[in-house]
Amino acid sequence: MSDGQPILKNPGSIGRRRFLKVTGAAVAGSSLATMLDARQAPAQLKGTTLRILTWSHFIPAYDVWFDKFSAEWGEKNGVKVRVDHIPHLEIPARMAAEFAAGAGHDIILNNSTILARLYYKSLLDMTDIFDQLGKKYGGWIPAAKSPIEVEGRIYGMPMYYILLPMLWRKDLFDANGLKAPDTWELARVAARTLKPKGNPAGMAFSHCNDANLNWRSLMFSFGATETDASGDNPTIDSKEMREALRFAKAMFDEGMTPEVFSWDDASDNRFLASGIAGWIHDAISAYRTTESTNPPVFKNTFIAMEPAGPGGKRVSVSAPIVFLSWKFSKNSTAAKEYLTHLVDNDKEGMIQSTGYNMPFLNDNAKKPMPIIGADPKMQVLQDFPKIVAFFGYPGPYTPQIQEVGLLFVLPDIFTRVARGQSIDDSLKWGLGEYRRIFAKHKRA
Amino acid sequence: MTGRSHSGGPDASSARAAGVSVAVRARSRRWFESQTSRRLTFGYLLLAPAALYVALLVGIPFLFSLYLAVSDANVGDPVARFVGLGNFRAAWEMDTFWDALRNSIVFLVVAAIFKSLLGTSLAFLLLQSFKGKKLVRALVVIPFTLPISVSVLSWKWMYDSQFSVINWGLHKAGLIGAYGSESWPVWLGQPHLALIACIGVNVWRSFPFSAIVLLAGFTSVPTEVLDAARVDGCSFFQRFRHIVTPMIFPILIIGFLFDTVFTLSDLSVVYLLTQGGPGSATQILPVLAYQIGIQAGSLGRGAAIALMLVPLLFPALFLMLRNLKRRDW
Repeated sequence: MSDGQPILKNPGSIGRRRFLKVTGAAVAGSSLATMLDARQAPAQLKGTTLRILTWSHFIPAYDVWFDKFSAEWGEKNGVKVRVDHIPHLEIPARMAAEFAAGAGHDIILNNSTILARLYYKSLLDMTDIFDQLGKKYGGWIPAAKSPIEVEGRIYGMPMYYILLPMLWRKDLFDANGLKAPDTWELARVAARTLKPKGNPAGMAFSHCNDANLNWRSLMFSFGATETDASGDNPTIDSKEMREALRFAKAMFDEGMTPEVFSWDDASDNRFLASGIAGWIHDAISAYRTTESTNPPVFKNTFIAMEPAGPGGKRVSVSAPIVFLSWKFSKNSTAAKEYLTHLVDNDKEGMIQSTGYNMPFLNDNAKKPMPIIGADPKMQVLQDFPKIVAFFGYPGPYTPQIQEVGLLFVLPDIFTRVARGQSIDDSLKWGLGEYRRIFAKHKRA
Repeated sequence: MTGRSHSGGPDASSARAAGVSVAVRARSRRWFESQTSRRLTFGYLLLAPAALYVALLVGIPFLFSLYLAVSDANVGDPVARFVGLGNFRAAWEMDTFWDALRNSIVFLVVAAIFKSLLGTSLAFLLLQSFKGKKLVRALVVIPFTLPISVSVLSWKWMYDSQFSVINWGLHKAGLIGAYGSESWPVWLGQPHLALIACIGVNVWRSFPFSAIVLLAGFTSVPTEVLDAARVDGCSFFQRFRHIVTPMIFPILIIGFLFDTVFTLSDLSVVYLLTQGGPGSATQILPVLAYQIGIQAGSLGRGAAIALMLVPLLFPALFLMLRNLKRRDW
């Protein structure tokens, strides 16, 4: 007699649908694994289209190489590849539009603003190729998972990160008997000494990404932290943070000029290229551009290891670049295959970016690294992978910490202190903003 | 039962009813065929595309933003829950929101004053006859027609802390010291200067629009009226105040309305110049809404902040339109 309840099947038995599902998944999985192993795209990719949305790289030659590389991969595999370049600040709006439409690019680059945790429910799970590539290239650097891991799964492919080391003028340092800026204290002494001679130092206090990255590097090197390990609670109110703020205020007063309050991401490049700067803390594009714009400055500009804080700690906060792919992409197999191929050619990318792109994979980070390993002035960059961190350190790169970054709360705390507001008041304001943002995300 | 009634029986009543119905039909047919109805129908038909356009491109997005503002919608989750006024409360709790609100009002008022002054002066200048007038007329609208990103980037260079051509000019004129001196202005780095710089770009970009609107108004004033006033001994300002202004009032109001909406919703100038910095010195509501709603992905909170512009705009629009109606224009 039926009582209206479904008849329970033997849990061990396999129905037709389940059989099809399991065997289908197994076949697809094994074909992908075989394909990845053999580095050959499956035949079903032929005749499909792969649309890639990426940024306009700071090194234009890299974009030329990237487009050619993508086209060649497409030709080899019978896939029509289309690459669109847009300014990276426009990518969040484009992603929101594509998500709303449920259609768009198959692969999308995120630069600094990593949206994997925001969209993860709609993103392609890349755990399989992430693990496989990690195994193949000696594992990923510790920071690699932070922006793309949600609940143990990986929703993006880390491609490279951009370092912001100390770029200093050796000629000016030598002429004034200064030591290389190996610690923040030495950097401060140099700023204090060089400013009266017309060569102030510069670190942006303004609303720009450099400010977000630089002040985090300084505070983390001072032992301060941004969130706890879970990423759910802000931890900026600490003794170390107060020390970092006190130090930043002194360094600004003694060694910088108010123009740092107005800078954008390219201002420090111009500051260095003009020959005025004693030192800046910026991406190596600043160094590279002086090669053509001011060769004497280029000759005398050296790159230093991330300065150590009072306890000897060094943390370099970098801008991560990852690729994501929509779950609704009509060509996710090609997307995974293409990304795997791209990571396989990571070293070529490093060469084409003239050392700008830093590798996430341990084997690619081994010395000597392409380009930077051969340049005596840039060799020091090879020591950075082990001290790289991202926003939220030591916690993960969460949407709430991203909102903190987008609203420039942390640079604003430093700005308030530099402009003369008390450390207590500035920190109280900043912590309030952090807590409000965190609480809103928790509720959501 | 025959169904006969006291009122004259079925035949009579049905005949009467039929008569009434015929009369109503005839009257309504007559109404539909009347000149008035045809005129109204034609009028509504002509209005329909505009009404449809407003409903589709303004009404629906507005209603959608209302829906977003009371939900926890975010860019990564298609399912949103009702949160009441939670997003508005969250905005009010932010210090940055109040800074943005204050700056938006200052931005609007100061920009409006300068645009009125400069726009009026330019319109009067363009009314005069001089050689090359047509060329000048074409040139003055250039700021308004240039792509905003291009013009704002040019201004960014002019405000550069190191290579500012404005500072260079002021220094050459002996008004400020050399680069690096105390008197060297850092346009986008000092809070008050940064706000002035942003307002300056907005005024530069929009005052030709004010001038063109005013010019259209001025040219519509009959010269006989102005000549008569001149003969009666009215000064320039008396003519402007008592004759020109009342006659072009509707045009002034419409121009002012457009300008208010354009200024309050102008995101590009501040976003490209300062991103709201230094601190929150130049933060305005549209930029804050964009940063939270689109960049950080919290659509609900972004929509709530953007909707805060409505209470700012609505009273101004209401008063202006009511004034216009009272004047019977």
